[in-house]
Amino acid sequence: MRSHIAVAAAAFAVGGVWLWAFLSTDSVWLFASLIVVAVLAFAFFQRFDAAGRYRRALATRPRRAALFAVLAVAGVAGGLRDQAYPLLMLCTVLLFVVACIGLNIQTGYCGIVNFAGAAFFGTGAYTAAVLSAHGVPHLFAIVAGGIVAALVGSLLILPVLRTRGYYAALVTIAFGILFSTFLEVNSALGGPQGLKLPGIDLFGWRFNRDIQLGGASASFYVNYLVLSLALALAAFVFARRVERSWLGLAFDAVRLDETAAATFGIGIARAKIIAFTLGNLLCGISGATYAMMQGFIAPNNFTFGESLILVSIVILGGIGNPLGIVPAALVIIVVPQKLQFIQEYRFLLYGCLVILILLFRPEGLLPRPLRNYFPESSA
Amino acid sequence: MDPGVAAQYAFNGLMLGVIYAMVAVGFTLFFGVLDVIQFAHGDVVMAGAFVALATSLALHALGIAVPALVVIVVACAAGLAMALVGALIARYLVLPLRAAPAFNTLLVTLMLGSILRELVRLFYPNGSNPQPFPRLLPTVSKNLGNFTLRLDSVILLVTGIATIVMVNLVVRRTRFGLAIRAVAQDSDTARSMGIDFERVVLVTFAIGSALAGIAGVVYGLYYNEVNFDIGLLLGVIGFSAAVVGGLGSIYGAILGGFLFAALQTIGSVALPVSSAYNNVFAFAVVIILMTWKPTGLIAERPSERA
Amino acid sequence: MTLAEPVTVADWLLTCRGLTMRFGGVLALDSLDLHVVQGEILGLIGPNGSGKTTFFNVLTGLYRPHAGRVEFAGRDITGHSPQQVCRAGIARTFQRSRLCLPLTVLDNVLIGNHPRLDNGVGFNVFRRRALRHQFDEGVETSRCLLATFNPDLAARLFDAAATLDMIDRRRVEICRALVNAPTLLLLDEPSAGMTHGETRELMDDILQIRASSSALTIVIIEHEMNVIERMTQRCVVLNYGEKIAEGPFRAIASDAAVQEAYLGQAMTT
Repeated sequence: MRSHIAVAAAAFAVGGVWLWAFLSTDSVWLFASLIVVAVLAFAFFQRFDAAGRYRRALATRPRRAALFAVLAVAGVAGGLRDQAYPLLMLCTVLLFVVACIGLNIQTGYCGIVNFAGAAFFGTGAYTAAVLSAHGVPHLFAIVAGGIVAALVGSLLILPVLRTRGYYAALVTIAFGILFSTFLEVNSALGGPQGLKLPGIDLFGWRFNRDIQLGGASASFYVNYLVLSLALALAAFVFARRVERSWLGLAFDAVRLDETAAATFGIGIARAKIIAFTLGNLLCGISGATYAMMQGFIAPNNFTFGESLILVSIVILGGIGNPLGIVPAALVIIVVPQKLQFIQEYRFLLYGCLVILILLFRPEGLLPRPLRNYFPESSA
Repeated sequence: MDPGVAAQYAFNGLMLGVIYAMVAVGFTLFFGVLDVIQFAHGDVVMAGAFVALATSLALHALGIAVPALVVIVVACAAGLAMALVGALIARYLVLPLRAAPAFNTLLVTLMLGSILRELVRLFYPNGSNPQPFPRLLPTVSKNLGNFTLRLDSVILLVTGIATIVMVNLVVRRTRFGLAIRAVAQDSDTARSMGIDFERVVLVTFAIGSALAGIAGVVYGLYYNEVNFDIGLLLGVIGFSAAVVGGLGSIYGAILGGFLFAALQTIGSVALPVSSAYNNVFAFAVVIILMTWKPTGLIAERPSERA
Repeated sequence: MTLAEPVTVADWLLTCRGLTMRFGGVLALDSLDLHVVQGEILGLIGPNGSGKTTFFNVLTGLYRPHAGRVEFAGRDITGHSPQQVCRAGIARTFQRSRLCLPLTVLDNVLIGNHPRLDNGVGFNVFRRRALRHQFDEGVETSRCLLATFNPDLAARLFDAAATLDMIDRRRVEICRALVNAPTLLLLDEPSAGMTHGETRELMDDILQIRASSSALTIVIIEHEMNVIERMTQRCVVLNYGEKIAEGPFRAIASDAAVQEAYLGQAMTT
């Protein structure tokens, strides 16, 4: 078992090196090769289940796995410490991961269709913008972003409860478009020009200042990376615990068969309200953090197209599995940034990618495994 | 309000209603025959409008300028091109996924809509900007007080209604329409009676999409402008209109289309906010109506049997 | 509980009076009067479409009756929601299998245990040790229940329900209904699709469960008359939503009205 963990640790280290190269390289050839290597490795591990032993060993030690992940990302951060743009990309990926984990709770666990994810992300962003402009402490502004997003979600809760499938999709699409259109015509919230935000100032530590430690210096984005990583980890652990519990079981029952769920005493409305609210909370918090990191937000950051991106990440990663969201977010967010020539075509490519996945591998990159309530004890 | 202005609003509303109705009928046909919502349908309207635009420009470049001929060729091009697109969508995207969860089909067609939008935006010359649509119909108009009755608007109105009536006739009075209705009611029995299920689905999608293509032409000729993202609004409202009228009912779809147009028109007149909020209002109405009557104003689905 | 002892109204666990259910123009239940005696096994039979499953659906709150009353354990449960009916102590299986196939066997059984499990966000996310306690209990209970029906099934607690054959799936459904120790169990055609041997085995297991929890009352919808004859003390026959006969199986089997309902009008001699 120890050797399995050691191998897993080594794998994380290799992954960290891969991620560092993936984010920092300027060479299109190297980037493409890294993608090819990842695809081949993925195919190999899928085909031969070569990593099965190690994966299972790691699953029984979630704290160890989390530590490895954090160390790997810390290593990547160290390697990227003075490159602002790759760090910014990594932060963006992590924050989108948080939002998508929220969407996954809604759709993947509870079966609630939500095509307005960007609207809740944007609600958090605009809340942070308004609050920070009035001098509200930034930590509070970020949390408030989540809470306001959840409150705005409660406006939609009646439509979400009363509709299903196509109708729910329609209602959330309509809401998403309504949100960005409203922002655009409403001058009180900056109109199409948007709003500016200050950088985060957490208990006196100003994030937007390059770090100087001893003789070494690092881009100020390392601050945001620490915060984003903490949020992503927290969101991940939260979602995992929700899934591996009676609440997660109730969500699944509601998603798979409402009639049977109701017959056995599960409150359908209650489950949906909780799932929807938790998801929007995560979208709002990540949106608020993102806004403060970017320093500037505008209505066209939170359109229906962006909601489709969030949904695409969830689908590509494997609906119902928060772990898959990470590689999916890397693909969807980083690849177009690095391959600038496809940046313009990215919506077109996302659309084709998702259609191909739905036609040929609908379970996504990492299909959701069977529920294992307490993997720590199945060693 | 001045009667002329009121008449103008009413006429605009009528025109909008016809366009919405044409889109809604497509949604209701697809749902009836395959229990599927083709979320890219609004963008098919947009694509039809652009095909029409490109055709008219091509004809112009070829020096063909006989107005009646140009209009007919353009309309046919849009209709036929979209019919083909509709059949392809059915054949390669919708039919293969009919055993999969409905969510997958929903997503696939949503993404398809996004793809159509992007294709036009990226590959049509200057696609990200609004395109002026040529005036192919006679520009005769008559002033009745403050109301300007344009001949081309009347022609479009009549054409729109005529195409809807024609589709309705095809569905209600022809043998093939009978096959469509049979499949819509019970596809297994229809199959065992010898009806070619796939062919019915393909042709239904072709008909609905052709109707959308013509709607695109009507849109372009009326507003004299098309844009790559008109499909989203049309799709959302067209779908809502079909739902409100009861999915599967053609009359309901028509009613729903005019209902939404009426609501939008009344909203833009009555509300004391700028016209920029028109769309916000329209979408808010969609949400409210769907919440109030998730199964439509007309048809009430029976409760689920265990 | 034998038929020799006089049964009074006080022993009635479930009472339905004038129960009426309409679907558009179709009268699925026509002013139905029906009662279930505490501790008995009642057979509910009748030709297809006679309203048996509809009756279950009305009882468990999936449909709201247009008229009539339902009383259970002394309380009026007419028109109650499915969740309320569940909490009152009624559990059921479905004619068409309603298992959550992508979930594990354990998950499916524990869905039935929902009322006893803590569902709060705080409990499930933050009080993991207490959750673990409930989890262990749940595993133990499920194992025992499943083992009664099929020891191999108990070993497959963590397999996906989709990997089970039809009979094991049926067993899991019954366990799901039993795990919360209901007072009244409604079985909707439990033996459908089974061989005689499998049916007999299943009924043995059900009787075994009932023997160990004397409070269990069962209503069983069946088309398999052997099962009805063997298992039930009393039967109710439905036709077109009405009760056309009631009594021990032997008596109603020779009832002319019942025969006509199933076989059509007797040919004149």
